[in-house]
Amino acid sequence: MISYILRRLVTAVFILLGASFIVYMMTAASGDPLWDLYGHPNAAQLIPARTEALNLDQPPILRYFTWLGGALGCLAPFTDTCTLGLSREGMEVTQMLAFAMGQTIMLVTAGTILAIVIGITLGIVSALRQYSGLDYGITFFTFLCFSLPSFWLAVLLKEIVAISFNDFLQDPVMSLASILAIGVVAGLIWYLVSFGKLKTRILMGVLGFLVTSGIVYFVLATNWLTAPFLGIPLIGLTGVLVAVITTILISGLRNKRALYAGLATVLVGLALYFPVQSFFRGAGLLTVIILCLVMIAIGAAIGFFAGGYDRGQGMRVAGITGFFVALLIILDRFMQSWPNYLDSGHIRGRPIATASAATPGLTGDFWIMGIDRFTHLLLPTIALTLLALASYSRYSRASMLEIMGQDYIRTARAKGLSERTVVMRHAFRNALIPLATLVAYDIGALIGGAIITESVFAFTGMGQLFVQSVRNVDPNPVMGVFLVTGIVAMVFNLIADLVYSVLDPRVRVKA
Amino acid sequence: MGNYTFKGKAAVSVAAIAALALSGCANVGGGGDENGGGDNGGGQEGGVVTVAETNAFTAVNNATAATNLDINGKIANATREGFIYVNPAQEIVPNEGFGSYEKTSDDPLTVEYTLNDPEWSDGNAIDKADIMLWWSILSGYHNDEDAEAETGTKYFNIAGSTDIMGKTDKPEFSEDGKSFTITYEEPQSDWEIAFDNDYLQPAHVVAEQAGMTEDELLKTLEDSPEGNPEDPQERPELEEIGKTWAEAFQFSDKPEDESLLVSNGPYKINDIVENNSVTLVKNDSYTGDNAGKLDEITVRTIGDATAQIQALRNGEVDIMAPGNVNKDTIDQVNELDNVEVIQGGQLAYDHLDLNFGADTFEDQAVREAFLKTVPRQQIVDQLIKPVNDEASVLNSQMWVTSQEEYGKTTEENQAEDLYGDVDIDGAKELLDGKTPTVRILYNNENPLRVDTFQLIKESAEQAGFKVEDLGDPNWSEKLADGDYDASLFGWVSPGVGTEMLSQIFKTGGGGNYNKYSNPEVDKLTDEARSNLDKDARDEQIVQIDKHTFEDGYGLPLFQSPGFFGVSDQIDGVTEYQPNQDGVFWNVWEWSRK
Repeated sequence: MISYILRRLVTAVFILLGASFIVYMMTAASGDPLWDLYGHPNAAQLIPARTEALNLDQPPILRYFTWLGGALGCLAPFTDTCTLGLSREGMEVTQMLAFAMGQTIMLVTAGTILAIVIGITLGIVSALRQYSGLDYGITFFTFLCFSLPSFWLAVLLKEIVAISFNDFLQDPVMSLASILAIGVVAGLIWYLVSFGKLKTRILMGVLGFLVTSGIVYFVLATNWLTAPFLGIPLIGLTGVLVAVITTILISGLRNKRALYAGLATVLVGLALYFPVQSFFRGAGLLTVIILCLVMIAIGAAIGFFAGGYDRGQGMRVAGITGFFVALLIILDRFMQSWPNYLDSGHIRGRPIATASAATPGLTGDFWIMGIDRFTHLLLPTIALTLLALASYSRYSRASMLEIMGQDYIRTARAKGLSERTVVMRHAFRNALIPLATLVAYDIGALIGGAIITESVFAFTGMGQLFVQSVRNVDPNPVMGVFLVTGIVAMVFNLIADLVYSVLDPRVRVKA
Repeated sequence: MGNYTFKGKAAVSVAAIAALALSGCANVGGGGDENGGGDNGGGQEGGVVTVAETNAFTAVNNATAATNLDINGKIANATREGFIYVNPAQEIVPNEGFGSYEKTSDDPLTVEYTLNDPEWSDGNAIDKADIMLWWSILSGYHNDEDAEAETGTKYFNIAGSTDIMGKTDKPEFSEDGKSFTITYEEPQSDWEIAFDNDYLQPAHVVAEQAGMTEDELLKTLEDSPEGNPEDPQERPELEEIGKTWAEAFQFSDKPEDESLLVSNGPYKINDIVENNSVTLVKNDSYTGDNAGKLDEITVRTIGDATAQIQALRNGEVDIMAPGNVNKDTIDQVNELDNVEVIQGGQLAYDHLDLNFGADTFEDQAVREAFLKTVPRQQIVDQLIKPVNDEASVLNSQMWVTSQEEYGKTTEENQAEDLYGDVDIDGAKELLDGKTPTVRILYNNENPLRVDTFQLIKESAEQAGFKVEDLGDPNWSEKLADGDYDASLFGWVSPGVGTEMLSQIFKTGGGGNYNKYSNPEVDKLTDEARSNLDKDARDEQIVQIDKHTFEDGYGLPLFQSPGFFGVSDQIDGVTEYQPNQDGVFWNVWEWSRK
């Protein structure tokens, strides 16, 4: 195992060396690094200055080795020898990279996590109801998103979710007829994607109609969009829902103790609601994390004392429920700050942003700044999630279908296990194995940046740094991006291979 | 915050539902107006204007070669002021709030400046030390560099040239230090723009960063003798000052030492978020005439033009002023309801130059014949009018259309008579049966240039020219080689000043790529550059302009179109400013309606 890893790492170093030489030469040969200066009124001063700063009087091969020398200095720890050179504007590439990585990670993290979670869920669900309306609906939707060009999707999202929504927010009024129309459309979708007997499907359609128009009506009538709230009733309601669903997935509703543990956790959460509010004043990220941990701990404790034949199940159900209740309480607190955010002179009642990561110049407490981050990351996150949904859902659907047809699943069913246990315990876990590779690759690719999405949403991440530097015929930043993405890609490839062998005992790394 | 009660909301909602149920009202929502969206938005903080810019800020000092970016200059325009500024018609406007100046003698040219007690935002007065630093940077007085022998030092590595201030004596200060006199060795027609605002940096901050006191800095600058390239000296203090000036003010995020952010303009930098934004707040200790009206100006970097437009629509930005303009962007902005579009021509203009060093164009008749075939009106109609319907053919090599002098020069220079219309027959006559081959160098990655080339080619071939395509992404490297017959590229006119004359049109000038040489033009250039009488000088420049058209130098084609998109919530942005200050030229006049 160790020797395998070592061998892989040594190869990686040589690949990096070779590739870096090629990339440097290609960048240097891609154009004239002085192109923007001809015709400039100060060309007589600017051209010699840049030539000297970037050593343009030396041939690219020499410049490559100068660069390599600086880069190798980064291998020596605790010495001040590390340099990846300067950019055209005289900035340290290492500093530019650090900033760009931060931007990229901020931009893509939420989108990637959501895509993985939602994508896998959709894939599993559609596999379990193969060839149903739901399956076709999911397939249609994910492929639709997959085939949309990202810049177009982004522009469309800005148009609808940001600009039109903000316009609507100026006067959030809708006629009863349009509410009903929205309900009808939603009901139709519910009908189409539901499965089972015709009667059930019609019932689902009616339910969809009622729920949707009810929610829209509630939101508008309570002016929820400009002054949103959850409060005890909504936190309680959602909490109960979470408790029930978690119980169904983890232990099955027959495990009454687990269910009661979950419900009890919701009650504790509600009891904590008011005390916690004062605690939130002047809070920071730490407070929020502490609350989540405390709620998980409380849940686990309740599950433990509820006992029963399987304490573990009860603890898990109640712990997860506790976590979600904590999230709801935090969400409620963010909502309380929403009106103040809307009223700020920087926002002027138009909260959903179309560009960059924060409103420049806006100041406020943790809650206001958190909302600001949310309004800015909302659109890119939706765009990235939708775009990546298809690959995860299709992979997990295929993998789940294959597993469900395996002999051991039939055996499990023959043993008399409940469908829940068969799906959750025997099929689901194994279906995830091939996805581990995919996820590892994707996380490796994350850092490379989403060039188009970054550009459309004015994030200056790795993708932008790369494109901009290539355009400027500026090899040092290009090499910086290459180095980071190259190393990350190789490391995650290796991790993917190792994880696979750990997860699937049939695959062994040849030592 | 924290004053929220669920009971209140519940009561409102129950009441709303009940009311609706009772009345059967057709509209839902909008009740409980206490948080009615953005109507009361501007009230609390008030006066924030956001500008979208294409590039990211990198330095407070934009006068070094590495930091000479448009965005740095724009921020400097809000945070620095000097004796003058330039208005959209490219006229010099004195700024009395900072100080006044007066020409006291023509021979030798002597200018007396009087400071009107200006101050930096930290309360430090702008005094002798600041002026000495300013002058030292602009004059290169101490430089003893010999570039060829690679000896000596250029202490202040500036992006511009020391052409104007280079031949002046050390400023002579009055007793109180509030006024000083600059004496030129030779007459210099650009004396009014000699003190370039971009080169003004706070001497007390430079001194502190360089590890000396302001007095020591002043003493160093005053006592060091003029540099002599033949006898270079080691002057470590000067070197330290020059290095500090170039490096200390270069940062792309907020520096820990806020003294680097001092301002003497209407606004000062409050915050910088790397690659994202610069927040300017009103300079409360501003002492001049052009005090800012807003509390805050946010300059955001949004590279993508479509993203800028959508941000403008969404109210996230109030002003957009993109550098590159195409039909698509302008159409999108024109469609916006609450946005005013202010169009104009940039100082950048495209031109066709004939290479006097090439055999093809040795003959005046061939040059004239070729220029007669250039379909300038068609180029403007097809390529520029869709973007700016007021665009016209540029008929001067010296001035752009928005300048007052442009009218005068077009009356005289005969550009319209000679090359106003395509004259294929006239060209054929001049060619007299010859079919010269013309190789045109241009950037074939720029769609506009490709289209221009095609139009020129089609037209020229009708007259019998053979046109060869030397389109090349690396066109600029080949510009100086001279291995082409004609070149198609852009200049950026400086707007104010005469330095361009000797750069481009004088024999052997640094930008004279097409080897144009006319003794009469050389003489006029020298005269114009030292002529202190504006009217007489303009007359000389008109003559140069005329000569270039008579000699078949080439043809100016069109100014690049430009525009500002301004939200109707903003007052004070009314004119298109084509120079590098862009929309920021009158930043102190901006306000929110």
